Amino acid sequence: MEWVETTGRTVEEAKEAALDKLGVDKGDAEFEIVEEAKSGLFGRLRQEARVRARVEPARPRPKAERKDRKRRGGGGEDERAGAKARSSDASDRETHKKAMAPAPAAAAPPRGPEEPVMAPAEREERLQSFLSGLVDAFGLEGRTEVDHVDDETLEGRVMGDGLGLLIGPRGQTLAAVQDLARSAVLRGGGRGIRLRVDVGGYQERRREALQRFTREVAEQVLSTGTAVSMEPMPPPDRKVVHDTVNTIDGVTTHSEGEEPKRRVLIVPEDAAT
Amino acid sequence: MSDVEEETVEGADDGADDPNRLPGATAIDVLEYLVGTLVDDPDAIEISEEDDRRGLRLQVRVAPDDMGRVIGRRGRIANAIRTLVRAAAADDGVSVDVDFVD
Repeated sequence: MEWVETTGRTVEEAKEAALDKLGVDKGDAEFEIVEEAKSGLFGRLRQEARVRARVEPARPRPKAERKDRKRRGGGGEDERAGAKARSSDASDRETHKKAMAPAPAAAAPPRGPEEPVMAPAEREERLQSFLSGLVDAFGLEGRTEVDHVDDETLEGRVMGDGLGLLIGPRGQTLAAVQDLARSAVLRGGGRGIRLRVDVGGYQERRREALQRFTREVAEQVLSTGTAVSMEPMPPPDRKVVHDTVNTIDGVTTHSEGEEPKRRVLIVPEDAAT
Repeated sequence: MSDVEEETVEGADDGADDPNRLPGATAIDVLEYLVGTLVDDPDAIEISEEDDRRGLRLQVRVAPDDMGRVIGRRGRIANAIRTLVRAAAADDGVSVDVDFVD
């Protein structure tokens, strides 16, 4: 799982920048504060805050949610609570150790033995069956394809004609399909996994359109030397903008504002520093 | 005799065009399916239908332990279910409300 490192005038700002880079919501990320911001005389900034962040890896569900799923009716509540306390002690010690180590890069957090990580093949199978079942329930026809785009990204695609019902106005229905797929397929156990669903190539066309538009704006910024602010966008779209601008020399990106009004600025590179 | 046979075949051809199929049947199928994929105890799912002036009202009951799963953080999952059920109902020309009840 890749770590990103970002800076900002405050820790909050640095965290927001990291979330943009990762393209996830706050709840799905894990942070380490590398340096707090320090202010100098007259409120001038002496040192920017620096944080490290990554998409949070799979981890046992919080207590309230995992209840007694596997051993329903078993009376071992106390025993388990004890085990949990012990294991969280252990993980605290882990964290301390990690904090002292210079680069805790790929160290995965300890996992409870009873919460095995779902194998990629199983995730694919579950998503496949979720999507084809959904298409059936709607009385529609479509082919479903599922694969991993990369280690952290599971994508399902439904293809066919007359699938507009599953996309909805401005993709709202598709967004709901994706939320439900995530919940039903990963069952709360897939924290480090991005799950995407596309229907009729809608997301792909949208992503391509956003890339094209971003390139146009970046060209404009290059030729005028003036920063341009994009409209507010959700994290995955902002990631597309950041990634696209990063492939172009002479321009870079910043983000500003709070969710859900957070937006990306495309700025000339020399003005950024 | 052959006439009758032909008519039966036509009528049974596709669920959506079946005149005996209730309006909103697709919405109920979708609701049943989605709730089923989310819960641990599918046998405990109960869905009741009620017609009121504004349309079809669907009430969903699940096992107490599964309630959190169908509601989700800040009602996010419940709203996603509503979005899909309404899309299915709109196709049938019906308006639908979905309630999750204890």
